[in-house]
Amino acid sequence: MEPRGEVFVLGLILSIVVLLISIFISVWARRFTRNLGDYYVAGRSIGAINNGLAMVSLALSLTTFIGLTALIIEGLYVAVAVYAAFTAAFIGLLLLAAPFLRRHKSFTTMAFISERYGSNTLRYISVVVMMIVSVLYLAGNLKGIGIVFYFLLGVPEVVGIVVGGLVVTLYVTLGGMYGVTYNQTFQTIVLLFCLMFPVAIVLRTLGASGWAFPPLGYGDMVPLMTQTVPHYFWAMVVHPVVYIAIFLGSFFGIIGLPHFVMRFFTVRDAKEARWSTVLCVFLVGLVNTTVYATGFAAVYYMQTQAVDIPTAAYDYVVFILVEALAGEGWLALAVAGSVAAGLSTVAGLLMIMGAGLIHDLYGALKPEVDDEKKLKLSYGAMLVVGILVILFSLNPPEFILEAIMWAFGIAAAGLGVPIVMGIWWKRTNKYGVGAGMVVGSLIAFISWIMIGYMGMDPVEIPFPIFAKYFYGPLGWIKVTAIAVPISFILTVVVSWLTPAPGEELQRQVDEMHGWSDYDPKRYNGKGLPITVIVLSIVVMWFMTTLYDMFPK
Amino acid sequence: MSSDSKKGYKLEVWVTAICFTIVAVTGGFFSSIVVIMNERFYNQVPTPEQLVPFYGESMFVTKEGFLGFPMHYFWLIVLSWIGATVIGAIWCVIMDRLEQQQRL
Repeated sequence: MEPRGEVFVLGLILSIVVLLISIFISVWARRFTRNLGDYYVAGRSIGAINNGLAMVSLALSLTTFIGLTALIIEGLYVAVAVYAAFTAAFIGLLLLAAPFLRRHKSFTTMAFISERYGSNTLRYISVVVMMIVSVLYLAGNLKGIGIVFYFLLGVPEVVGIVVGGLVVTLYVTLGGMYGVTYNQTFQTIVLLFCLMFPVAIVLRTLGASGWAFPPLGYGDMVPLMTQTVPHYFWAMVVHPVVYIAIFLGSFFGIIGLPHFVMRFFTVRDAKEARWSTVLCVFLVGLVNTTVYATGFAAVYYMQTQAVDIPTAAYDYVVFILVEALAGEGWLALAVAGSVAAGLSTVAGLLMIMGAGLIHDLYGALKPEVDDEKKLKLSYGAMLVVGILVILFSLNPPEFILEAIMWAFGIAAAGLGVPIVMGIWWKRTNKYGVGAGMVVGSLIAFISWIMIGYMGMDPVEIPFPIFAKYFYGPLGWIKVTAIAVPISFILTVVVSWLTPAPGEELQRQVDEMHGWSDYDPKRYNGKGLPITVIVLSIVVMWFMTTLYDMFPK
Repeated sequence: MSSDSKKGYKLEVWVTAICFTIVAVTGGFFSSIVVIMNERFYNQVPTPEQLVPFYGESMFVTKEGFLGFPMHYFWLIVLSWIGATVIGAIWCVIMDRLEQQQRL
């Protein structure tokens, strides 16, 4: 897609307004930060509505605007299934982790893993996994802001990356978690407004009778779509194990993504953590179903009105549609919404990276350093991390959404499994978790290096036994259906074969579930570990037994 | 473990397991089921113009379901969104009550 060639003044003004309000909110919120707890977890004072809204903006990164619709155009039903799993995954996060993590009183995922299993080594390993996951997740988002500036506002991409990056670094550094939270709440409201309304107008122009409610408003356009594009709703484009891999990556990946988990350490109590997640899943679903409608509208528009949008421009199809069918005023809103979406995700990731480096890494290496000095160091670390991220984002991986899907896989195997098992099975110990998280995350990470980074064909990677099953569209996603089960199996088996953790570590499990007394029998049965092992084996067996049944 | 405590513990574990199973199906395994039970969700008699380059003659044609959407697509988006939200809310209500009992 060619850049606009001239500055889109209205879009630029709205985007600058979003940036300025973000800085203002952060400066305003700075007054609440008095100590390290305020800086990293907002003094654990955030309410359910505020936290739920903040989580929505974390979940809806720039890929919602410039990645998902492109995937829908190319992948149709499969793309919708990816995001459907991502939406429902928040309930997985709620059921398995959210309120329990809040009761644990840690600051971060890495601190939780270290304290739950009584191991500083696990803390260092989890910091490394967190950095890999965060960089993969983050790389595309800042670059995306640059792309929005370049193609839609006529401003050079580098300017977009630097300005967007500096703004977000500034407000994260200044405002800490208070600033990030209030900004994310503001950005969610902007995002909802700036996506829902333009898409409704697009659907109205295309003739959808239910345009006022985009998520389910285009049913009467379906018959013409299925005549023109019969495979639009076809689920059989991929092997069924792909959907299981998407489920594993989404459900355990979201639990493993430290910037999501960190939000639960900021709320007042477990009840607020629970209800904030319910609010979040409702709003994330609302936005995602609206984006499905946008993808549908894009394909419908191209096929029924003989409009040719080049493949290279699929990432910007939301903006192309809005400009063509709704007008420049709505386009300006959509652009401002996408800038807000990008900023919020980058902010959350910067926050967890700074916390990981100072609180978890430096704090563990130098336990004698007091909180006041750590707070001062945190300001500096956040600034340095922000600048490094800006430099990195000048040349990130090409396909944003693919990098994020890999991040989910690595997070699921490396951090999601230790968190879930640490909450639900007392017998889990540091040896089991160490084996599971190292092997699981390495399987996913090395596969990303070979497939995602070096561009190797998935079926040709040197992965014993399983590589030949990674065939077909999105075949590489099946790596997650190996990495996560292996992480679970190793965690359970090695924990069983090695000494049980001490009572003080097991006691944490009862406390996380809200029990004031300790009972060694609670969360210590054989049912869960056996079920986990059986299901893990079934998932891997499922992939191999269906080898010849589905097209390669 | 007292009987009340044991009852609360079992309630928490079983309600969580059931809710997780349901949401795992609606949010993840559902599409696998659609693929494996494809004849339940598709008509298998394509007209020539409905054939697509993917798999030629083996192409399936979607059945219409609710509000104009194919049945499997409608259920995918509704269950993964409204369904998941409702399951989450029900679980929260039960856990709120359990938490109150734990405090007594």
